[in-house]
Amino acid sequence: MNASLDQRWLASTSHSPGALQIRELSKHYLLDGQPMEVLKGIDLRVKPGEFVSIVGASGCGKSSLLRLIAGLESDYSGDMQLDGKAITTTSLERGIVFQDHRLFPWKTVAQNIAIALKRSPLTRQEKALRVAEHIRLVNLQGFENAYPHQLSGGMAQRAAIARALITQPKLLLLDEPFGALDALTRISMQRELQRIWVQHRSTMIMVTHDVEEALYLGDRVIVMDARPGRIKYEIDVDLPHPRERHAPRLQELKEILLTELAGSDADK
Amino acid sequence: MISTASAVIGSRVSVGHRMLALTWLISPLLLLATWALVAASGHYSAQLLIPPADVWHTFKDLLHSGELLEGAAFSLRRLASGFVLGASGGLLFGAALALSKTVEVYCAPMFHVLRQVPSIALIPMFILVFGVEETFKVLLVTKAVFFPVALATSEGIKAIPRSHFEVARLYRLPRYSLLLDVVFPAAAPPILTGLRVGLTRAWMVLVAAELLAADSGLGQMIEMGRQMMRIDVVMVGVITIGLIGFVLDSSLRLLERRLFRWKAIKE
Amino acid sequence: MNNLLSHARRARGLLLPALLVAAWEVASHQGASQAYAFVPLSVIGQGLTELIRNGDLLISTLASLQRTCIGLLIGVIAGLLVGAAMALSAIAERLLAPLYHMLRQVPILGLIPLIALWFGSQEGAKLLIVSLAAFYPMTLNTFEGFTHIDRRYREVARVLEWNTWQVFTQVLLPGALRSIANGILHALAFAWVSSVGSELFLSTGSGLGNLMMNAEAGARMEIVVIGVVCIGLMGYAMNQLFSRLTRHLLRWRDI
Repeated sequence: MNASLDQRWLASTSHSPGALQIRELSKHYLLDGQPMEVLKGIDLRVKPGEFVSIVGASGCGKSSLLRLIAGLESDYSGDMQLDGKAITTTSLERGIVFQDHRLFPWKTVAQNIAIALKRSPLTRQEKALRVAEHIRLVNLQGFENAYPHQLSGGMAQRAAIARALITQPKLLLLDEPFGALDALTRISMQRELQRIWVQHRSTMIMVTHDVEEALYLGDRVIVMDARPGRIKYEIDVDLPHPRERHAPRLQELKEILLTELAGSDADK
Repeated sequence: MISTASAVIGSRVSVGHRMLALTWLISPLLLLATWALVAASGHYSAQLLIPPADVWHTFKDLLHSGELLEGAAFSLRRLASGFVLGASGGLLFGAALALSKTVEVYCAPMFHVLRQVPSIALIPMFILVFGVEETFKVLLVTKAVFFPVALATSEGIKAIPRSHFEVARLYRLPRYSLLLDVVFPAAAPPILTGLRVGLTRAWMVLVAAELLAADSGLGQMIEMGRQMMRIDVVMVGVITIGLIGFVLDSSLRLLERRLFRWKAIKE
Repeated sequence: MNNLLSHARRARGLLLPALLVAAWEVASHQGASQAYAFVPLSVIGQGLTELIRNGDLLISTLASLQRTCIGLLIGVIAGLLVGAAMALSAIAERLLAPLYHMLRQVPILGLIPLIALWFGSQEGAKLLIVSLAAFYPMTLNTFEGFTHIDRRYREVARVLEWNTWQVFTQVLLPGALRSIANGILHALAFAWVSSVGSELFLSTGSGLGNLMMNAEAGARMEIVVIGVVCIGLMGYAMNQLFSRLTRHLLRWRDI
C-alpha cells in the first residue's frame, strides 16, 4: 500500500474512538394498535477502537439496534451513551453505512462525500483536501466526478464508507454493508474495511448475516435472537489483525457460532 | 485493407440509413402535392383552398413587414410573464403543500377542487373581472401554469424516498442545504415535466384568449385573417403557433435530458 | 375518537374556501365599481334557480355532453385505428407518424378559425374539433400500448406457434388495454374541454360555452360562475366515473 499517502491521512486525523454503553435497551413498535417488541433488555458495552460484529436471523432487530444507536429512531426505553453522552438524535460523532449505498444520484462521488462536511467549520480548500484524502482511502481515485449510476455496487459502497468516515466519527455503524455485493467483491471489500479500520481505529459495529465475515472482521461477535430481539450469545475472537481468512481458529469459532444460530432457528 | 473494407461498409450502411430516414418525408410531401394539385384544379374557390405557394408568399410578406414577428413577440411576452408568475407560485405552493402538514390540511382540498376547472372555462369569467386587457391574458397563463407545476412539485417531493431524508438527518444538513441539495434535485425531474405540461397548456390557452379578445398577438392576427376571409394569413398563423409550441416543448425536453444525465439508466 | 379527529381535519380544509366565499360576498357589497364582477351569493342563487327553472342549464349541459360523447366516440375509434396501425405496421408508421406529429403541434383551439372557415360554425365544425381533441391522446396511448408490450409475452406466443389473429387477441390486445384505457381517460378530458372551448368561439347552437359567452356579453357574472362550476363538476364526475369503470373492468390486471 502507498505508505506516504497513509502518513498524510493519519496526520490529519485527530479524533479518538468512542466507548459505547447500552443498558436495558428496549424498543417496541405499534402494529395495528398492538405493541410489537423489537428489542428487549439489550446490554452492550463496546470499548474504544473495538470492532463488534452482530449476527442473527432476520427479524432479530439487529438493524433496529443500529438505527437506534445512529439516532434515527427515537422513543426507546433504557439508556444509551457514547463517551458518557446520552444518545438522543443523529450526530456527526456516529456514522452509519447501509446495505444500499444511499448516495444521492444527482451528485458526483466527490460531491456525495463532501455533503457530510456541510456542518464543518473547515474552509473550502480544507474540505476539498479532506474529500480527496478519503477518496484515496477507499481507492476511488479517478472516479471523483462519476455519478453513482456509473459505479459498480462495490465502488458505490466504498464511496458510502468514505462519506461516513469523513466526519471522523467516534463510532462507525455498518448495517450489512456488503449484503448486496457478489461474493468476490464482498471478500475484497472485507479486506479493505479491515485495512481502513486498522488505519482509522474508529470503534465499529457491524451487523451482518454472514458468519465468516463477522468472524474475519470482529474482535467480538454477538449472536442475537428474534422475537423479541435480544442478545443470546457472545464470543471473543482472540486473533490479532490483520487476519488470515482461513485461520484454523476462525474455522473452529465458525462451527460454534453456526451451532448457536441453528439453535435459535430451531426455536421458531 | 480490412479497415478500408469496413469503412466502405460503414459508409454504405449510413447512406442506407439516411435514405431510410428520407422515407419519413414521403407522406408530408404527398400531402403537399395533393394540396397543390387540388388547389390548381380549380374545383374549389381559391378563397377556401389556397395554393401552398400563396401561403408561402404570405408567410414571407408577413415576415418582412414585421407583422408576424411583432405578433409572436406580443404573444411570447404574455406567455413569459404568466409562466414566470405561475411557475414560481406553483413551485413555492407545491413545496409548501408537500413539506408542511398545516398547509396541506388547510389548502389541499381547495387546491384539488380548483385544479379541476379547465383554464378555457375561465376565459369569460376573467374577462368580466379583469377586462380584455393584458391582465386577463397574463393571469390566464399564470393559472394554466400554476396548477400542473404545483401538483408536480408536491407529488415529486412526496415521492422522495425516506432514505434520502435519513441521510440528510445523519449528516445534520442545515435546512437550506436540505432544500437545495436534497429536496429540489430529487424532485427536479417531475417538476420539470410539470413545467413542460404547464407551458403547453398555457400556450394553448393564451392562443385561445387572443382569438377571443385581443388587439395584438398571433391569435389576434389569425382572428383578423378569419374575419377578412384571408385563409392564407390564418394558415400562416396556425403554422407559426404550431412551430412555437414545438420549439418550446422540445427545448424543455432537451433541458430535461441535459440536466438529468445522472438519471441515465444502466441498460 | 379517530372518526371525530378526521372530521375535524376535513372541516379545517373547508376553512379557506369559506373565507374566500366570505371575501367574495364582502367585495360584492363594496359599491358599484365591483358589483358586476363580484356578484352577491344571493344573486348567484337566484341565477341558479332561474337557470334550472327555465331549463337552460339542463339543455346547455346536455348539448355539451352530447357533443363530447359523439366526438369522443369518433376520436377514440379513429385513434385506435391509427395508433394500432402505426404500432403494428412499419409502413403505416412511416406514412402516418409524420402527419400525426405535425398536426399535433398546433394547439387544438388554434385550429378553430381554420376549421370555421372551411366547415362553417355549425355542429359539424364543433364535432370535428372535439373528435380531433380526443384523437390525439388516443392515438398516442394506443401506439405506446402496442409497442411497449413485454417481449417475453411475444416469445411465449412464438413458442406456442400462434397465428397472427391469436397473437393479436391473446397477447397484443390484453397487453395494450391499460394504456388504451388511459388514452380514453385523457381523450375524455380533452374532448370535454374542447367541447366547451369550441362553444366559446362558435356561437351558433347551444352548450355551456354559449351560455357563458352570452352571459359575459350581458355582464351576468352569476351565470358565468355557475357555468364554470358546472364545467368543473362535470369534468370531475366523468373522470371519476370512467376511471372507476376501468379499474373495475381491468381488475384482472395488476396495477
